[in-house]
Amino acid sequence: MTNKKIISIVLGLMCFALTLGICIQIKTVKESNSTVSQNYEENNLRAEVLKYKERYDNKIKEIENIDKELEAQISQATEKNSDLEDAQNQIQQGNKIIGTTEVKGPGVIITLSDSKLDPKTVLNPSDLLLHDIDVLSVINELKNTGAEAISINDQRVVTTTSIKCGGAIININGERVGAPFTIKAIGLPENLANLDRPQGYLDMLREKYQIGAELKKSNDITIPKYSGVINFKYAKTVDK
Amino acid sequence: MVLIAILIGCILGAIIGTNAPIISYTYSSYLAIAIIAALDSVFGGISSVIKKNFDLKIFISGFFGNAILAILLTILGQKLNVDIYLAAIVVFVWRMFTNLGIIRRYYVEKWTDKLKAIKKNRNKTNENNENVS
Repeated sequence: MTNKKIISIVLGLMCFALTLGICIQIKTVKESNSTVSQNYEENNLRAEVLKYKERYDNKIKEIENIDKELEAQISQATEKNSDLEDAQNQIQQGNKIIGTTEVKGPGVIITLSDSKLDPKTVLNPSDLLLHDIDVLSVINELKNTGAEAISINDQRVVTTTSIKCGGAIININGERVGAPFTIKAIGLPENLANLDRPQGYLDMLREKYQIGAELKKSNDITIPKYSGVINFKYAKTVDK
Repeated sequence: MVLIAILIGCILGAIIGTNAPIISYTYSSYLAIAIIAALDSVFGGISSVIKKNFDLKIFISGFFGNAILAILLTILGQKLNVDIYLAAIVVFVWRMFTNLGIIRRYYVEKWTDKLKAIKKNRNKTNENNENVS
């Protein structure tokens, strides 16, 4: 009897381990969306790319940790000195404006997505897609209505940001960004919501080719910081 | 009792597995080979039960030992730039098929015997009836 009990417990544990492993494996494979292809070379390349991506993400995390450490060190160093504290405050203010710190506040979230119309039904299928010019126009209007911080799919819009066409995707800050676009902007939500006016740009996108354009007000928007480096080589300050 | 334990284990594993965090892609190949090794041990265990030489100790050591050995071999293969895991998969799947063959043969023979017995019984009762009439 005890022998049978032991056997059943052991078998149960084994089945538990086995199904756990299988489920985790299935989830992992699904998450990395690597459809297993018949081509051996292709599979290897895909695995390699995924590994590099993982390493890249790990490095970015490391950098974030180091940044945090630096901030902690700076705040520790300036704690007792009021002069330095002023300077620190100024630096923080400046960072907020040029976009190298995370900011949050009220604003709007605009979601732009490609049209769901069948491409065969229109003369020019390219009209059904979102282009760099659409994103640019929306950003321009947001700035006009007083947005203080803007991000597109978590890419912060800073002074050096360029938005340009890259085939099926758009290059923002040199990073590849694809539709659907989630544009977040911090500012007075009532002002920013004017983008959704009749005959406005969003309205036009919707009316013409049924491109998805939604505007949502929100009181708590977090906009990530610019992850690149802003380096001015040629612009020099003028001494007065 | 054994069946109930297996069922509970499977259900618990599935529930926790679907809610567990995903592992990084680098280690997923090791997990895959370990799963294949474990599955092979399970089929081996079932076939040994049929052959009536099942030993729990051998089964447990095979289950974990094979899985760990397969993972170690895969790591070694990656270090040496030889795809050892392919050999491991071939061996494990081959053994799975032979074990499945043993299991299948056993059950098919059992069922054919049962069917024959049923037919015999029917014939007997028919004869009896005829004798009575």
